[in-house]
Amino acid sequence: MDTQATQLRPSRPNVLGSVSTFSATLPFLALLLVGISLPLFGGGYWGVIATRACVYWVLVSGLNLVVGFGGQIAIGWVALLTLGAYTTSVLVAGTVTPALPPYLALAIAAVVGAIFGLIIGLPALRLRTFYFAITTLGFATIVTQVALAWQSVTGGGVGVAGPIFPEPFASQWGFYYFCFGFAAICTWMTANIAASRFGRALTAIRDAEVAAEASGISKSALLGTVFLFSGAVAAVAGGLFAALQSYITPDAFTLDLSILFFIAILIGGRGSILGPLLGTILLTVLPEFAAPLVAWSTFLYAVLLLVIVLAIPGGIAEILDFKNRRPLESDRAIIPRPELLEPLLGAPPDAGALTLDEVALSFGGVRAIDGLDLEIRPGQVHGLIGPNGSGKTTTLNVISGYYAPQRGAVRLNGAALPVFARHRRAHMRIARTFQTPRIVGSASVLQNVMIGGTIDGEGTFVESLLSLPRHRRDEATLRDTAMLALAAVGLERLAPVRADRLQHSELRFTEIARALMLRPAFLLLDEPAAGLSAEEIERLGALILAIARAGTGVLVVEHHPDLIFDICHHVTVLNLGKILAAGTPAGIRAHREVVNAYLGA
Amino acid sequence: MLISAPDPLLDIAGLSTGYGKIGVLRGVDLKVGAGEVVALLGPNGAGKTTLLRAVSGLLPWSGRVHFGGRDLAGASPRDTVKAGISHVIEGHRVFTQLSVLNNLLLAVYDLPRRERVSRVEEALALFPEIAAKRHERAAALSGGQQQILAVAQGLVRRPRLLMLDEPSAGLSPVLVDRVLVVVQRLREGGTAVLLVEQLIEKALALADRVYALARGSIVLEAETGEADLPDRLEHAYLATSSR
Amino acid sequence: MVESIVSTGLAIGCIYALIAITYNVMFSASRVFSFTAGTLGMLGGVLGSLFIARMGMPVAAGFLLALAGGAVLGIVTEIVAVRPVLKSLDQHLYVLSTLALALMIQQFTAIEWSTEPQPFPRLFDIARGGFDQQIWLPMLACAVVIVGLELLYRHTLIGHAILAIAEDNFAARALGLPERSLRVASFALAGVIGALAGFAGGEMLLAFFANAPMLTFYGFVPVALGGMGNNRGAVVAGLLLGLFQQTANFLVGGIFASVAVFTVFIIVLLVRPEGLAGVTFQRRV
Repeated sequence: MDTQATQLRPSRPNVLGSVSTFSATLPFLALLLVGISLPLFGGGYWGVIATRACVYWVLVSGLNLVVGFGGQIAIGWVALLTLGAYTTSVLVAGTVTPALPPYLALAIAAVVGAIFGLIIGLPALRLRTFYFAITTLGFATIVTQVALAWQSVTGGGVGVAGPIFPEPFASQWGFYYFCFGFAAICTWMTANIAASRFGRALTAIRDAEVAAEASGISKSALLGTVFLFSGAVAAVAGGLFAALQSYITPDAFTLDLSILFFIAILIGGRGSILGPLLGTILLTVLPEFAAPLVAWSTFLYAVLLLVIVLAIPGGIAEILDFKNRRPLESDRAIIPRPELLEPLLGAPPDAGALTLDEVALSFGGVRAIDGLDLEIRPGQVHGLIGPNGSGKTTTLNVISGYYAPQRGAVRLNGAALPVFARHRRAHMRIARTFQTPRIVGSASVLQNVMIGGTIDGEGTFVESLLSLPRHRRDEATLRDTAMLALAAVGLERLAPVRADRLQHSELRFTEIARALMLRPAFLLLDEPAAGLSAEEIERLGALILAIARAGTGVLVVEHHPDLIFDICHHVTVLNLGKILAAGTPAGIRAHREVVNAYLGA
Repeated sequence: MLISAPDPLLDIAGLSTGYGKIGVLRGVDLKVGAGEVVALLGPNGAGKTTLLRAVSGLLPWSGRVHFGGRDLAGASPRDTVKAGISHVIEGHRVFTQLSVLNNLLLAVYDLPRRERVSRVEEALALFPEIAAKRHERAAALSGGQQQILAVAQGLVRRPRLLMLDEPSAGLSPVLVDRVLVVVQRLREGGTAVLLVEQLIEKALALADRVYALARGSIVLEAETGEADLPDRLEHAYLATSSR
Repeated sequence: MVESIVSTGLAIGCIYALIAITYNVMFSASRVFSFTAGTLGMLGGVLGSLFIARMGMPVAAGFLLALAGGAVLGIVTEIVAVRPVLKSLDQHLYVLSTLALALMIQQFTAIEWSTEPQPFPRLFDIARGGFDQQIWLPMLACAVVIVGLELLYRHTLIGHAILAIAEDNFAARALGLPERSLRVASFALAGVIGALAGFAGGEMLLAFFANAPMLTFYGFVPVALGGMGNNRGAVVAGLLLGLFQQTANFLVGGIFASVAVFTVFIIVLLVRPEGLAGVTFQRRV
């Protein structure tokens, strides 16, 4: 497999080569340089502004994973800044506990922040977007109110003194470098996550949730982890903020600040690290350029947000994305290479059959499926056809775990599949594609396919955070496997291209490549031929047959009779939720009732 | 002396459309003459519903569509309704929270009040089974009755062209016949009908001409009288594209 | 004492209910929740104070102008923040665009009007005390809106058309209904209702830009608890919320009262995300 994978690396160092990795790091290096040398050309005033920008970025970098990558509208994250600020200050002041050294207080604040980040974030798993946004706002208000009321601890409206960090960080520039160090580390860590399976999985949850589930990604586990990290980092920012302000009161933590953090991410562009970083710097620095601007700052941020949402939803990141403005070839053909399937899929699985036994399901009063028996054997292509409303897609959804059968069961090798555990299907090596391709438009084709291999990664979140060896090994393997999958379906030339630039048929094949990353024992295809030209359907057919020959059991739900009759070993015809006929394609074709049902009589 | 055939009421040429990136129809040509009943047949996914949606303005399209001599490029559903096309969409989608009467009144929303009332009475006279329930909420009607109501909504406007998308779906045979009798009467009254149907035999019994749509383009056009039509249809539906 | 808690609770509950109805009317027309609902309430109070107290207009004129202002903001919301975004595949965008618009207006008000709460004029020249106009004005407004909406939806063709668009937008379009102008009309109506809430509650809440975020949250709680789009549920939930808040205020003081409200809100939502009366959200695959 190694030789074939290396053969596939494009000779021009396009995206995958070292040249472009360097150009991606260049802006960060430039900022690093400017940041380090700031005292040389900036006065004391700019030092304070720069320190503030660093502190804000520490919070925003973590929030970026939640909002920019995970797509959760967490507007009230200032709550964690408040918590971190007060926790650090109170612990250092020694009014409630014996006075602790500032570093320890900061660490404890991080832990507190992590816990509360999780608490504030968890409703996202149950609530719809707007509802969740409102609850985060509520949290922000509550935390500030508690700070105001809990006078014995927080000093109420009078406030408390912020922590002072010991030399060399006590002086203005010393403290600046302290904060700058945190900012740099946070940039590095979140960039590592962005380029890891966790970052990609987050974007999948954001833009293609059903595809994320089908790839085995657990939304609750991943978001939970990210909320912990983001909360911790925000609390650390709070401690630094308190030190910067030297004295904190509840009205330092306004909703305006929360909005600033949130808008910085949106202006910067979702799914980017550089964009929100530039956005944070921009929003922190902008009001300083003209005194009247300070009063109008939130107004300006809001205007910017509106403009971005309406005109450039991709934000600064989209503006800077020169790579994806290059035109693509116009006559692109998809030419799969089935010979690559063997190295990709590995040895045939020794799973038994996937069966449906007497499955029945009703919606309201309507019988969607009524006593359905189906058997998908490894190495065979099974077609499921029928008129609209016959229950084909419902059947697929029952197998995938979206619906629980009310009677009967779906069994793998005799054992019933757990109902509703959608993301477990991937672990059982059951993969699927969707009627309308579910992809992450703003990510590259390669990244989309790599999402399919998320559960194969062994490294933990922390290992990715710190770019430890196991993370780097995971990434290299995942990348090679994904390139192989793309080559197998015939799309390797489009690997670096943003997925939303692709044609519909190319997206369909991308989904198949993604599904193949699971090395599936069973592959469920939902109307894969829809929208494909005649030649593409032929190539699709050949690919599906090759996948089956490699040992996978394939279920194809279709109403294109061409595809079904050409490639299926068995065909089941549904009508009104019941089996109308089942057998070989030739037999079905001649079956009078089937012809009638199709033609209607 | 050349006597040319009158221009068709609905004249579609080279129509292409789809949903987002998914192209569904490629270069469809179709004509419906005034007072004609034309059946549009084809397997699922062929694009029949998409075609009707393009004509009525629910979907953007490219190509040429003329109705009564008028170019429908860029027309919205409101425009096509006013021009005289009524599109009864698939799935008996009526407004369940409103009464039968109000469902019908909405179909003639832009007409003056007195005319609204008289048109609605006209439509109800054609369908006594729902006239009896005129003040009941549409939610209380059976699926079949809701479909009748949907067809009635199409008729209230006295359209020049009525487009019906699978009116038989979910209807008992008795109700199917009821609807088709009304369609027959419409034809006699001079209304043109474009009928998308799954029940081929019934559609052929009623229609003057038939088109078959498969894989996004027209694969067959014929008069319904022709003898070998059923076989030709089967071939058109199930034929594989290659070889 | 109890009397005061109940009467204030009901009055403020009516204001919350009206904001909830504002949310619902916008939601029914577009399937979108807009952050501008609370801002409309704020504007009703601020515009009323501006026209009547500061500019000296007669009460009736100031009232009508304030409502007109609400209608304008409602329409602007639809055009700027909802319409362009409905077409896009990304459903999150409307949250951001309406948030941006709401923020712009709040900030503008804070800077141009005042950052401090300003007095709202006494509308009727009756002595204070007893069943004061502060109390019955919001209740009257709420009753008028409920009756008015009922009449609109049940007895006018335009009301039926709005219900049709809310129930099945596609079928309504196919029927030739003027979907866009009906949606704009709904948003204008929502704007009027929101402004009315703020105007009627002006004396109680004062003309204060920070009423906007407060009403955004407290006006949404009845929506979430009563079920989205469900006006009756919203009214009941609004009244209960008002009573609960005033009781908590009395028992544990203002700050802990808001903590209490929020905690209850979040617990109910986590247990029943669709609200106490709503329908579960079915996901399509």
